[in-house]
Amino acid sequence: MSASIVSTLSLGSTVLSAMHQTQSEISKLTIESTTGQYADLGLQLGDQSGYELSLRDQTNLLQALSTANNATVTNLSLSQTSINSMTSTAQSAVQTLTSLSAGSNTAAATLQNTGTNALQELIEDANTTSNGQYLFGGINSGVEPLTNYFSSTSGQTAFDTAFQNYFGFSTTSSNVSGITSAQMQDFLTGSSANSFSTLVSGSWTSWSSASSTNVTTEISPGETATTSTNANDAGFQQLAEGYAMLSQLGGLSLSASAQQTVISTASSLVDQGISSMDNTEATLGATQTQVTDASTSMSNQLTILQTQIGNLDNVDPESVATQLSSLQTQLETAYDLTSQLQKMNLAQYLPVS
Amino acid sequence: MSLSTALNIINSAFVTNAAQSAVIANNVSNATTTGYNREIANVVGNYSGGATVVSVTREANTALLEQVNASTSQAGYQQALSDGLTTLANTVSDSSTATSTSGSEVNGNSPSAMLANLQSALETYDASPSSSSAGQGVVTAAQDLASSLNTGASAVYSVQEQADSGMSSAVNTINSLLTQFTSVNATIVSGTASGADIASAEDTRDSILTQLSQQIGISTVSNPDGSTSIYTDSGATLFQGGQASTLTFTPTATYAAGVSGNQVMVDGVAITGSSSPMAIQSGALAGYENLRDVVAPQYGAQLDQIADGLISAFSESDQTNGGNPTLPGLFTFSGATSVPSNSDATGLASEIEVNAAVDPSQGGSVDLLRDGGINGTNYVYNTTGAASYTGHIEDMISALTTNQSFSATAGLGTSDSLSDYADASVSWLQNQNQQASNQLDYENSVVSQAKTALSNATGVNLDTELTNMLSIENSYETTSKLLTTADAMFNALIDAMPS
Repeated sequence: MSASIVSTLSLGSTVLSAMHQTQSEISKLTIESTTGQYADLGLQLGDQSGYELSLRDQTNLLQALSTANNATVTNLSLSQTSINSMTSTAQSAVQTLTSLSAGSNTAAATLQNTGTNALQELIEDANTTSNGQYLFGGINSGVEPLTNYFSSTSGQTAFDTAFQNYFGFSTTSSNVSGITSAQMQDFLTGSSANSFSTLVSGSWTSWSSASSTNVTTEISPGETATTSTNANDAGFQQLAEGYAMLSQLGGLSLSASAQQTVISTASSLVDQGISSMDNTEATLGATQTQVTDASTSMSNQLTILQTQIGNLDNVDPESVATQLSSLQTQLETAYDLTSQLQKMNLAQYLPVS
Repeated sequence: MSLSTALNIINSAFVTNAAQSAVIANNVSNATTTGYNREIANVVGNYSGGATVVSVTREANTALLEQVNASTSQAGYQQALSDGLTTLANTVSDSSTATSTSGSEVNGNSPSAMLANLQSALETYDASPSSSSAGQGVVTAAQDLASSLNTGASAVYSVQEQADSGMSSAVNTINSLLTQFTSVNATIVSGTASGADIASAEDTRDSILTQLSQQIGISTVSNPDGSTSIYTDSGATLFQGGQASTLTFTPTATYAAGVSGNQVMVDGVAITGSSSPMAIQSGALAGYENLRDVVAPQYGAQLDQIADGLISAFSESDQTNGGNPTLPGLFTFSGATSVPSNSDATGLASEIEVNAAVDPSQGGSVDLLRDGGINGTNYVYNTTGAASYTGHIEDMISALTTNQSFSATAGLGTSDSLSDYADASVSWLQNQNQQASNQLDYENSVVSQAKTALSNATGVNLDTELTNMLSIENSYETTSKLLTTADAMFNALIDAMPS
């Protein structure tokens, strides 16, 4: 019955509530137009909030992994540089050995020097650190991995004892020159408890403090890679044995043939070492590629994630601007209406009598 | 008919004009009074042929008033719920506070975001396990996560406390309104009997009913004697036969794990709570009760499940096959002697803390995080003490993404990874928040439409009153003309008489 009648109270309050609504909309849209995001995301997204959060979480995780991968790549390339240096030392040592003629006057001194220096350089390279951690220590990265066992008193004693036991005389005895090539070969590579090879490989833990377990690192979500090598690898052992052979036996007053046996055995060990080292380097290189690939793929994922987050969070700036300007017009109209309605009063039109 | 009859009619016309003018004046002066019902002067012809104002009635519309009251109740309910949910949602409103889209800045303080930070910190630690600063990063992230859960739990308790005190003040308001109602109703009943003007008392009564429905859902019944009976929307009697019931409620000041509040009673029967035989459905009181007993505790249970999940994900197991029990590791709680099961998680969110054994600021060692052994040598994973051992760290990382079982009572599924569960909890909360907010907007617009309809039906239109005033003015003018004419006629008659 009274649909056609509007009470004066509701006439005023309708415009008023319309104005309040418009104003709160404007304040919301102003925030959105300045930040480019919904004013209250939680309210806007509702049960999508968790999804949005999980996208952000993934972003965070991928960023952390990418940063961590940078450090891993640095370690990997440092390791390869050190291995490169080890192989070039080894190559120059092999060259020296090849050019050497056994039995010459200077041969003994050259052999010993070559062995000692090369061993020294091998140990220096094997003890490379990055951020205070030894690169070739496996997981036991807190301890210097490689030492020259024979330079220690116990190592020297062990060598002297083995030599004495095998040949029946000491390294300084004049009998040394009587050692035949075959004897020397057996001492160097034989399986006897007193042989040189047993002396090195049997007490390798005295040479190396590295752990044979390599460091594993998560390089992308769920993908783990072995990101180190260690000084217990065959290459390290072969090089160390070859060099030690030269430094321990090269200087003795051996016959030319026995000396030649030392040279050829050491050369072949160093050669094997070079090829083992090359393999190790190749493995590390492959791992480095794997890590870089993981980082690249994560960076692609990050781009996609940012887009997805943007799709959820971001407002369309054009539509916000359009809405804002139409709301402004609406508010101005409401102001206009208020003043018009004030005038729309019968009393204004009655003649004053 | 005689001239004196005409004079009588003229006289009654003046009286009627005055009475009508008074009603119009009253209407005009109350044109902008909310809840004022327009009054109408009822004019009837009298025995002598004139017109008299026999009564003044209110322009009332019970149907529309009931609609206003019902929608007000719904709005009151949603308002109470929405306020509480907004408070809770503030503890997880990461996205709205985000200022940057990269790094940890993007994450606010929700357990979910803190969990993600912890996961990132673990990945960093995994890449450099020998770095104690990376380990410290994990401990810091873990502390942030624990404190986020503590904050969430205390927000739940404080929302419950606020809801409880909201219920208490709603009960006080209802009781005081019922007292006012009792006296206004008595005035109306006696006024109806004696024929007095009860219009303003009726306005007051309507306004009390609207205020009452803000607090509690009601239905009303009008009685022949002019009185009104009030029942809750669930049927409990609030006012009947001149007697108001009293609502009783014992507030609970402090909420903690396992504390449940009291219910509102009317005449010894609970009218709130799930076990009530006649639980009210709407009004602020019902909204607060729902917030206090259903919504907030459910969110609290989810936080407890997350805390429990964390404690078990980071627990240490016996590495010696010695049959020792699995014990809390990075995350623990005061007085922990075992890893609690998910059905026994109540209150864990408020108690969870980072184990002092790994916190250097409490004399602990970060390395225990990498090596294990927080619970003694039987629990050491890294038996050689190698500086780059990552096995245990990787165990922890995968524990965060491996499915765990959760208690069904928290309402979020029973098997999920910890990070997904935390995300789901945020979704649940924001969804509740969004729904309550949308519902509130809707109810508010229903209220405002109902009020407009009511105001249009029963309120004052100034132009109508002025138009009526004009016709009364005309009638007054005509009546005075009549009086002058009658006077002239009398004078002519008197003049014609011989003196």
